[in-house]
Amino acid sequence: MGLKIAIVGCGKIADAHVEEVRKIPSVRLAAVCDLEPIMAEQLAMRYTIPNWYSDIEAMLDAEKPDVVHITTPPQSHLALTRQAVAAGCHVFLEKPVALRHVDVEAIIQAAVDAGKKLSVNYWPNFEEPALELRRLHEAGTLGDPVHIESYYGYNLGGEYGTAFRRDPEHWVHRLPGKLFQNVLDHALNKITPFLPDQHPQLEAIAYCGDHAAEGNPSSQLLDELRVMIHGAQTSAYVTFSSHARPIEHSLRVYGTRNTARLDFMARTLVLERQQAFPSALGRLFPPFLTAKDFLRQGMKNANRFRQARFHYFDGMRRLLSEFYLSVDRDTAPPIDYGEILRVSAMMERIFSQVYPEVFA
Amino acid sequence: MKILVTGAGGFLGAHLVERLLAHGYTDIRCLLRERSKAERLLSLSAAYPAAQVEMCFGNLRSKADCARALAGVSLIFHLAAGLKGSPAELFADSVVASRNLLDALDGREGFPTRASRVVLVSSFGVYGVAALPRGARVDEQTPLETHPERRDPYSQSKLRQEQLFRDSQREKGFELVVLRPGVIYGPGGGAFSNRVGLQIGPLFFHLGGSNLLPLAYVVNCAEAIVVAGTHSDSAGQAYNVHDDDLPTAAGYLRAYKKQVRPIRSVRLPYFMTRMLAAALESYHRRSQGQLPAIITRSKAAAAWGGNTFTNAKLHALGWQQLVATSDAMAQTFASLRTQGKPR
Repeated sequence: MGLKIAIVGCGKIADAHVEEVRKIPSVRLAAVCDLEPIMAEQLAMRYTIPNWYSDIEAMLDAEKPDVVHITTPPQSHLALTRQAVAAGCHVFLEKPVALRHVDVEAIIQAAVDAGKKLSVNYWPNFEEPALELRRLHEAGTLGDPVHIESYYGYNLGGEYGTAFRRDPEHWVHRLPGKLFQNVLDHALNKITPFLPDQHPQLEAIAYCGDHAAEGNPSSQLLDELRVMIHGAQTSAYVTFSSHARPIEHSLRVYGTRNTARLDFMARTLVLERQQAFPSALGRLFPPFLTAKDFLRQGMKNANRFRQARFHYFDGMRRLLSEFYLSVDRDTAPPIDYGEILRVSAMMERIFSQVYPEVFA
Repeated sequence: MKILVTGAGGFLGAHLVERLLAHGYTDIRCLLRERSKAERLLSLSAAYPAAQVEMCFGNLRSKADCARALAGVSLIFHLAAGLKGSPAELFADSVVASRNLLDALDGREGFPTRASRVVLVSSFGVYGVAALPRGARVDEQTPLETHPERRDPYSQSKLRQEQLFRDSQREKGFELVVLRPGVIYGPGGGAFSNRVGLQIGPLFFHLGGSNLLPLAYVVNCAEAIVVAGTHSDSAGQAYNVHDDDLPTAAGYLRAYKKQVRPIRSVRLPYFMTRMLAAALESYHRRSQGQLPAIITRSKAAAAWGGNTFTNAKLHALGWQQLVATSDAMAQTFASLRTQGKPR
């Protein structure tokens, strides 16, 4: 394949992109770029990347990359995408795709108009258990989805949460959907493959779950979000919680035949089947059957670990491999543009309910 | 003379302000990010009614905040640095922030850059000790690290920060004094430096053994920064900062267990630490980072290579240890007794 890759934006998430790109033997990371030269230099130094730049134009001219990863804050994604596709590059974008839905549409249009491919880092959907769930759905094992629950836990005390909470100028505070906008892609993009409705009804409520911040308006960040989604045949809940412990990332799909429970943290997918045993036996056997399923999943994971395929961002490596392949073979990119637009449109509707003053 | 202290809200910063006041400096501007940290500084200054201690809230990542903090200042103590977080954040908080500060030195009316003095608080982490033989003495002549990519992100950021200051000094001509403290400790600080060992799960892996621990009690360290930072002979010089009567890592751990709380520890001799580091590095490489290389041979040599240390250059300026190590450890351990688990 021999694709030449470049990364624009050398903040925290760029480390993950560098590490996953380097695991794909058929591509080469040629350069990194950041408006702040110190940030570009440090990334290049830590990973011994051949070249670094503080001017994207200079990088595109000198390196002529095939694919540009854009890992800057979303405020700059539209302009950078236009610049990259104009220079003949395909684009891999970090989420959130853009500030507003209209910008997401413009980003996709820019890629389409230039005849270039684009994808977004919806990496959890490319974890092995998530792909297995898709296969079960497509094979009809679940039946028709009746209800979906997507749960996304967040650690405000972690590296990232601490960084933006202590810096009132952090770019996350300038997103129209604030904290939620930075992470909600990952909660919604797990639902859309099972939700046939293009424009479902949607109700969102948000609040500050930090009771210590009560009475101190300046520190009251909305950090708990609940969304009820209602389509013609299928409903869904989205829970975003910064305070519930342990932190959980999970998806539950209730089908007309069976229900699937996917735990993204433990990387397990368990099917909850209809019981065939009568009376008390129907209550006796299920825990053992579920335990057997978990044991099987645990063994699969142990095998993946043995083969060194159990990295945190394994889904990103798989997504990138598929994206690069689509570039190389000129086939459809791994994430349908309609999916990206549907997630973006739902996000904007949620934020307009949570922050009506911003969207007035 | 107006003095600026960056990172004044931090562990070392508050002690530095106190030592500056004790030395008779009366015009101090404290730059701090969090308003909640101002209370302690204000209570400190209450004991010096003749002094003017000004709180300046801002972030060195902002060029405007840098310019505001530097207005009217001719002596800068730069303590602000990233201590934890992702590598990108460490570089942003230590290096980008420093560059913004240095850029803001220029163009201040009535305060020419050449007439300014900048005192940088760096770290022992900048030395290239991995290349030295086991037990080698580390002094100010020890070469700086030439393979930053092999070091931890904190040391990488401090090394780049020092380089930035030296480059800027050559260009702008201000007076630069660099202080390189060892392990700063004291009440309110952490319990264990990596030089003693690493807490992994329920076990503390004691890796330091009989190595000397280059402790710098926070009050003594602050005193050293004031003495070196204000001395007429210190311009263009670097000084290692640690106390006189250094304990060994094993001695420190023993005292901790006796005076704070018992912990379960396993001692690993240096050759085993090196073997473990080699194995971890090899697995990390083969598995493409499936498990982090928490110990590498280079890090092992830097932290547990059994170096000896000297603070003779600092003493030559007239610095004296204000709090004896035995008293300093007792005060630190008394504070740690009231806290939860070791950090």
